[in-house]
Amino acid sequence: MPFSTETWIRRADREDLDTVIGWMDDPDFQRFLYGDPARSPKQIREQIVSMLGRTAGHTMPGGVYLILDSKRHGPIGLISLQNISWRNRSCNIELYIGNAAARSRITAAIAIYRTLEYCFDELNLHRVGAIIYAFNTASWRIFEKAGAVRELTLRDHIVRDGQTHDMYGYGLLRPEFEALRARYQRQSEDVSLRAMIEYLAREETGAPS
Amino acid sequence: MIQGIYTCIRTTDPDDAPALHGLYDLQRPRAALLDMRREPIMPTVDELREMLGRKEAVRGAFFTIENRMGEIVGFCGLRSVSAEARFAEATLMMCKESDCAGPEASEALAFLRSRGFNWLRMRKLVAHCLDRETALRDALLRHGFQSEGVQREVFYAAGRWHNLEVLSLFAETAGE
Repeated sequence: MPFSTETWIRRADREDLDTVIGWMDDPDFQRFLYGDPARSPKQIREQIVSMLGRTAGHTMPGGVYLILDSKRHGPIGLISLQNISWRNRSCNIELYIGNAAARSRITAAIAIYRTLEYCFDELNLHRVGAIIYAFNTASWRIFEKAGAVRELTLRDHIVRDGQTHDMYGYGLLRPEFEALRARYQRQSEDVSLRAMIEYLAREETGAPS
Repeated sequence: MIQGIYTCIRTTDPDDAPALHGLYDLQRPRAALLDMRREPIMPTVDELREMLGRKEAVRGAFFTIENRMGEIVGFCGLRSVSAEARFAEATLMMCKESDCAGPEASEALAFLRSRGFNWLRMRKLVAHCLDRETALRDALLRHGFQSEGVQREVFYAAGRWHNLEVLSLFAETAGE
């Protein structure tokens, strides 16, 4: 049976502003990603506006922000590609599923896979990295399943709830991703960007799947 | 200024800009001179002079290393301090990279350790090395730094990919 999902990724837009701001207020966001809980709502809003602001078509952005959207829940998460270096063909990736009801490893894994396809196949990047706190086991396991290699263990590197924690640095090179895609060819075809686009086209035209 | 046996270490002045500019060499890239995206920055002498004269943060955290003859032999610093996690990034750039094996570099690293752990009360110092910076890596290891891993193929220059190693030193390990 082919594996399918009713989620997709798309460019984040100004209309997503309030949704994303709501997610950033979530204590989980501040624990698992970053953010100072003392920041004012105005400061958070300004940060999101700068993230979602459209970049002129002719410029090469330093960051790309994607929304993980779904038929059932609407927008459920944010994927950011940050520190994009067009010289080194690299970026750092972060995923946050803000809608707690929609959190699942499968959803997150599919979103990461599609984003990696976007990075390697569309943006022509050579390397995708991720920095993940050691206690965020679910996240780093997804990256390992995607073929990423744990390259760094930064000991006692961040503080949460008064305790220091390790931080992991992951890296995935293009040949490694291509090898993974070839190894799991059948499953990856079902969740690929191409499959996602075909699903959206069917939804739009009402054609049967 | 800190007068050592082999060096005099002092905060960097705008007049040091020409010597600092000499370290920006794409054929011999240095980890300490890459930006957040691991891209090389290529400032002019005037831009460096302005930066060294303007930024209070730079003036208090970036130092010139002179030898006993008063010649500039390198630069060192502590930057990107995380007050919350109490760690700082230590940088050491000798004008001649082979001098990383010499007593001047050793004194500069001892200065950074002391300043980081005793003066700024840091818990951890972090340093970065490109794979070509073997003399710097050896000097860091001699001063107790330990590898925390290598990021593969993060930087492209001089016709090839470079790996970037992260090394760290904790206050308790350093005995400071």
